[in-house]
Amino acid sequence: MKALPRILLLLLCAASASAQAATIEMNVSGLVCAFCAQGIEKQLRKFPATADVVVSLEQKLVAVALRDGQDIPDAELRRALTNAGYTVKSIERTQTPIAAVRERLKQAKP
Amino acid sequence: MSRWFIALGGAFALVGSMSAMAKPIAFAGGYTVMAEYGAGTMEELQFFYAPRYDLSFGGGYLKLNSDERPETDNLTYARLNYLAHRWNLEDAQASIFVWGGLGSATGNTFSGTVLAENAGAQADYETRRVYASFKTDLQRSSEFSHRIDTLQLGLAPYKHEYGGVATWLLVQAREYTGGIHRGAETALLVRLFKDGIWVEAGITDGGKLQAMAMVNF
Repeated sequence: MKALPRILLLLLCAASASAQAATIEMNVSGLVCAFCAQGIEKQLRKFPATADVVVSLEQKLVAVALRDGQDIPDAELRRALTNAGYTVKSIERTQTPIAAVRERLKQAKP
Repeated sequence: MSRWFIALGGAFALVGSMSAMAKPIAFAGGYTVMAEYGAGTMEELQFFYAPRYDLSFGGGYLKLNSDERPETDNLTYARLNYLAHRWNLEDAQASIFVWGGLGSATGNTFSGTVLAENAGAQADYETRRVYASFKTDLQRSSEFSHRIDTLQLGLAPYKHEYGGVATWLLVQAREYTGGIHRGAETALLVRLFKDGIWVEAGITDGGKLQAMAMVNF
């Protein structure tokens, strides 16, 4: 009986984690040169929450796959992109796995 | 040969294209190493660290060989680069950099080592298909004053993607002041880059090699 609150707490934590975004998708301005965009990946991979990074010049998109139950605040994301030399236009959190984002970008290639 | 260069340069200008040049600041926490061989008249090696996205510092070595007279100058300098402004546009990026530094110089037309001052600026604009840059770099001392102005115009035959190989075709026009080279020197270049490695090479209107390599990490 004493274990019940602990079990409930664990269940709550698990539910909260599953509600976290799987991927952060950012629309970025000025994204025209792959050589210059190297810094984006380097900056974003510094976050412990980052599992993977995808950059698309064609879609002006930077996507970050998050580790389970983790997130990166918007202000930190904007700062990372500023440090890489770019400007974030919008940030969206989705449940789309990064593999699906990659596939979508592949399909969208002209 | 010169007419061909002029015609090609005009064609680039007609399509509104100009080509971008190596940037002296990579990204916050990033290092840049650049090496250039300029048709026998200049050789330069530079190394910069950027503590911020808009600032980098480091040093370089520049050797200038006059093809007009028997003059060679060797300069070693420390330099600060500043990103004065950047425009992150929907389909383009443009930047203005300025820099200044101090160093020492030796040469075969004067004795000893003299203090040398360095100052310069660069403006560039690029999309995924067109690229333009203009750079001016002044090296001055009590014994000489050399300025190198470089204009690059480029066109990409295809839109490169992140992680792939980028290819650029460029026309470069360069003018030296201070008796290094008479008149404007033009060159046709091919630039390739992938990930953090950039190489470009070509030939000048005088039939000499013009080459540059850069690594960001």
